[in-house]
Amino acid sequence: MEVLQYSLRRLASGIPLLLGVTFISFLLMVYFGPDQTYQLLGKNPTAEQIAEIRAQLGYDQPFLVRYADYLREVATLDFGNSNSTGELVTDLLGRTIPVSLMLILPGFVLGNLLALLLALLAAHYRSRWPDKGIMAFSVTGMSISYLIVIIAFQVIFSSSSGLGWFPVRGWNVHSFAEYLEYVTVPTLATVFVALGYNTRFYRSVIVEELNRDHVRTARAFGVPPAKLLYRNVLKNCLIPIITRVVFTIPLIVISGALLVETYFGIPGVGKVTFDAITTGDQPVLKAVVGLTAVLFVLAQLLTDILYRAVDPRVSLS
Amino acid sequence: MSGEPILSVRDLVVEFRTEHGTVRAVDRVSFDVFPNETVGLVGESGCGKTVTGLAILGLIPNPPGRIASGSIRLAGRELVGLPEGELRKLRGREMAMIFQEPMTALNPVFTIGSQMIDILRRYKGLSRGQARAAAIELLAKVGIPAPAQRIDEYPHQLSGGMRQRVVIAMALSCDPKLIVADEPTTALDVTTQAQVLEQIVRLQQEFRMAMILVTHDLGVVAETCQRALVMYCGRVAEKADIAPLFAHPRHPYTAGLLQSLPRVGQQAHQDLPVIPGMVPDLLDLPAGCRFAERCARRDARCDRELPELDGEADSPSRVACFHPL
Repeated sequence: MEVLQYSLRRLASGIPLLLGVTFISFLLMVYFGPDQTYQLLGKNPTAEQIAEIRAQLGYDQPFLVRYADYLREVATLDFGNSNSTGELVTDLLGRTIPVSLMLILPGFVLGNLLALLLALLAAHYRSRWPDKGIMAFSVTGMSISYLIVIIAFQVIFSSSSGLGWFPVRGWNVHSFAEYLEYVTVPTLATVFVALGYNTRFYRSVIVEELNRDHVRTARAFGVPPAKLLYRNVLKNCLIPIITRVVFTIPLIVISGALLVETYFGIPGVGKVTFDAITTGDQPVLKAVVGLTAVLFVLAQLLTDILYRAVDPRVSLS
Repeated sequence: MSGEPILSVRDLVVEFRTEHGTVRAVDRVSFDVFPNETVGLVGESGCGKTVTGLAILGLIPNPPGRIASGSIRLAGRELVGLPEGELRKLRGREMAMIFQEPMTALNPVFTIGSQMIDILRRYKGLSRGQARAAAIELLAKVGIPAPAQRIDEYPHQLSGGMRQRVVIAMALSCDPKLIVADEPTTALDVTTQAQVLEQIVRLQQEFRMAMILVTHDLGVVAETCQRALVMYCGRVAEKADIAPLFAHPRHPYTAGLLQSLPRVGQQAHQDLPVIPGMVPDLLDLPAGCRFAERCARRDARCDRELPELDGEADSPSRVACFHPL
């Protein structure tokens, strides 16, 4: 009950945030965004023809009316048809978002779980050689550009001059075996890069917790070292970890997939966004930007509710 | 004071490596604790009293700290050099510690019940239900009202005094032979201090444990201890039974500490005597007596030589001073 009340209140307080985000994206991407008038007109148009087209496109409407139209589109999830393919935008997203999720999810989950495991090890052996090894690996992952990692992994695992185990590009998935074939290399690349950032962050959170008084108390009562980490420390560390994990969700769904999908030729929402930006496909852009804003508000709500579940000192009122 | 000592510390040296050199926080400290008695470890901040307590439980953070030499025997068993795994099994069961900061000593994200049940199950092999019943009984014993409800609360829902009682209950839970209480009442307000202290004394007698009480508060020592060690700069300055220590302190430092205690009935506007000067830096200790700088009885020998404890090792009263009172 408490959680429900809080969620509703929190959702209500997310409305100004949504308005702000949509306003800015409207200003940049719609009002000052791509103008299609001349693409739709023939050569040497008359002033009447121009005015007619602009009226059709709604460009002649006042600013606030156009913004209200945009808000209505976000609220009803009705963004019209894509300019370039003519497909209904909701259909387009409904087709591509699942692909992106399937592509990104394994890397996201593995990247966080492995990082947590490595961070626990590093924190346990802090300033001794296992810690130094893990940190060296993690800094390496952080320092190499994502692009280089993707290309290198494609060469190593997929090309004929490397191991040649997996297809280089594409997404021809009809069975689980095919899914594994296409998802492995992108996942490896994502995990390699994510491990770098995540491990460093998680390690510092855990080390800080290990220095707290309650850990000394636990040691003074004979808690074994492994149990100390997974029971007495991990739960305390979850707040910063949750914050980080949940807030990367909207990012990876939309923009995180962009690079991977472009380089592996996978028809996900990142690829669609990229194409929409390059061709000025306004309906698609409006949808992607609006949905990202909604996802961020939801992510924030989720974080706060998870805080409450983890730390009894957090009050939701 | 009879029979074999429960705890026997001999020539304990604890060192910490710092950026500026190695610091000897505890320097050849020796003492015994017998069954059913409370020994006070008294001194200013940084005199090595807490480090001594931590060393007994093997909780010196390493690195930077380590037990450089000496011996700690618990019920005849040598603890120095014991593998961490072995030592760990003694903690909480054979010896337990009560910490200074009840506000931070408990884990904030678990209920006090789950923290107590954890220890009881690990050492006593109880089922969850039995351990819970035992925990409730212990909470009642340390004077927590409505323990059956309190057990499911989180540390932040309890006051400082209540939390310290919980830590005491945890320490008692496996009938340890020895309890090291590190400033157990310092962080509490004055009225709570008295109650918690009374509780500790009562339980120590009821459970017939040996206890080391680490404190800077001579008043606390007078109320609870049978014997006390006065420490200064990592060394024992004086050790004696409580009554003679308070009536006839022999070390000038002990005398100074006693004089600086406020007394009821003292003239209101009379300034409280203080010990002049500062504690020397542990990185830059004088060659002679460490208290010489601040001592009224100092002479040339005090600056040259480091005084050792006088008398026989087992004599009840020993002092490390060339010119005792």
